[in-house]
Amino acid sequence: MSPDTQAGGFANRAVAAQALPDFRSVPLEPVAPAYRPYAVIAAGLGWLAPAGAGLVAWFGARAGLLPGTVAVVALGALVLMTALALLGMVFAALDASRRRWALREHDLIYRSGVLWHRSVIVPFARIQHVETVSGPLERRFGLTRLKCYTAGGAGGDLTVAGLHGETAGRLRQYLLERIRDGEDEAPEVEGPRLASPGDDD
Amino acid sequence: MALVFLIARAVQRFVRENLFLFVGAGAGVAFVERLGIRELLLFAAVVLAAVVVGAVIHHRRFRFRVEDDAVRVRRGVFEHKELRVRFSRVQNVQLGQPVYFRPFDLVQFSLETPGAAEREVELPGIPRRLAEEMRDRILGARREAVGEAGAEGPADPAVPPGFPGPVVPGGETAAASLLHAPGIARVFLHGLSSNQVWLIAGVLVYVLDLGVRQGADSTVVEQLLGWLERQATAGWSVLLLLAVGVFSVLLVAAGLAALLRYHPYRLQDHGSRLVGSGGVLERREQTLRRDKLTGAVLKQSPVGRVLGCWTLAGLQTRSDGRGDEVGQRSFLVPGLGAGDLDLVGKLYPGARMPEGFEPIHRRYRVWLLSRGFALALAILALLASSLGRGHGAVLLMTLSLVVLPPLVWLRWRQWGWSIDGPMFWLRRGLLGQRLEAFELARVQQVQVRSSPYQRRHGLVTLVLVLPQGLVQVPFLPEALAAQLANRALFAAETARQHRL
Repeated sequence: MSPDTQAGGFANRAVAAQALPDFRSVPLEPVAPAYRPYAVIAAGLGWLAPAGAGLVAWFGARAGLLPGTVAVVALGALVLMTALALLGMVFAALDASRRRWALREHDLIYRSGVLWHRSVIVPFARIQHVETVSGPLERRFGLTRLKCYTAGGAGGDLTVAGLHGETAGRLRQYLLERIRDGEDEAPEVEGPRLASPGDDD
Repeated sequence: MALVFLIARAVQRFVRENLFLFVGAGAGVAFVERLGIRELLLFAAVVLAAVVVGAVIHHRRFRFRVEDDAVRVRRGVFEHKELRVRFSRVQNVQLGQPVYFRPFDLVQFSLETPGAAEREVELPGIPRRLAEEMRDRILGARREAVGEAGAEGPADPAVPPGFPGPVVPGGETAAASLLHAPGIARVFLHGLSSNQVWLIAGVLVYVLDLGVRQGADSTVVEQLLGWLERQATAGWSVLLLLAVGVFSVLLVAAGLAALLRYHPYRLQDHGSRLVGSGGVLERREQTLRRDKLTGAVLKQSPVGRVLGCWTLAGLQTRSDGRGDEVGQRSFLVPGLGAGDLDLVGKLYPGARMPEGFEPIHRRYRVWLLSRGFALALAILALLASSLGRGHGAVLLMTLSLVVLPPLVWLRWRQWGWSIDGPMFWLRRGLLGQRLEAFELARVQQVQVRSSPYQRRHGLVTLVLVLPQGLVQVPFLPEALAAQLANRALFAAETARQHRL
């Protein structure tokens, strides 16, 4: 690849590929520490509810309220569900420790994934709108998700999970301002300079 | 005039409903047989009445109004809907004239904006002159429209006296240049190479199936079947000949269908917009705003590769993000020969067919082959255990194991990317091929993904989210993918605003 070609009379400034700011060199910040217990509990709850049902059925059978075969099935389900819950919780804990994010001068970087890694970089100039969401359990931990929508259909939104409510709010405000600025005037920049990492406003 | 419009609309609605009924006819055949002809007629009359009443209400509720910089539509039978679309948001306008609209000089008018999943504004049946006037005002001729007097469209679609005579398309850019006008042969070839063949074959099988089931007592079908059986015993060669005959009939039908759809096809360049038009029975005209074009695709089906036939498509922002170009709405330019490929640059400035493509990593073959084999073996084991070892499906599946490696190799070889200044090209395919060009500056989001297998070999998948959908480049070396990602981000962040 030759970065300094000209196409169709369109003069393009030559930029050495190595001189471009590298998204990999940005130190990323882990998500809020409260995210890990939240994720573990959320993952556990999903499996523990059926496990609880199994437990009740087992006790019911022990007390003679339900036929004996139910006890065997219930015990099996209980063990299986608990195992899955534990596995899910371990996975969630790992996942939580893998989630990282950073803000550059012109884009937002988010990295996640335990087995399948994924880094997403969204330029501010391409964000259509931003919203913050938090469920009841998340609110207990003071967490908020930030959603950024870009064009491009279903693949066009980025959810940054595990931000402090306050951080998410400030981030949203900042992004909205940047979007508005971008609409008012075309940015005249020589090239994106690196902002100090983790600088969340 | 309004009455004519009403009739045309009712007819149009009726045709649509008819089409629907025809599709449902297969299931209804047995039911209909039990009913007498009188009941059937009654039923038809009721349906017709409902359709007409629905159309009348729909028509009475339908109001539209053209403002200085927007079009406003109010409609809805049960649920009232009112919407206003700013002209500057519109990315394309389509005019269609079915054959029964022609005597009344009416057209269907529809327009599309980036956000909508379907055509946002559809005016079914307005005078052609009004439609052309609106099209010109919406796309391109905006500045002169402001000073114009009759800036208000009528609620009743009668032509007001104030409208000028024959509208010169696009005022400021009156000097339109003809970019592409494929001959009959080219359009015919386009039909041969398009997937229409399989569509027609499907319809044919369906109709034949219906015929056989319904006409079990009819002697013609019986004779035909008997003849077929006799031929089958006579030898394979006759049967083969028959198959070839049927297939060539299908091909001709597909070619004719393409001719009907596109025939006097013209692609014209009006500067700020592109106009594609054609069609024998239904004349269609698609007008695209050039600055709302986000990419271009050159496509060749397997048959098209044999025939040297290409299709060009202009891409625009899609909210479903599928990133392909099938369906009625897409801007397709049919019938390109191998010598017409520079048309892509005329459609999408800056796009030049690259001389060569960079391959993706060889590991892709190993990965795809192992996945393919695993899947095929799993299916094979399942089939063999349930159907028995000698079954035809099992044999077929075993055969597929032999075909798999060359297919994987072909797939890998088709993957390729290239950078030409601000333009990124991606090639993919299997037997056919698809070449997509877009400006890196249009990138909405960059993703770098990696599976455990990829990481073991220092590879990643680069995903570029574009307004028209996702574009994936699998199995790139990590450093290279990062370089491409950095370039795309740099281009997007230093670009002049690309508001959609």
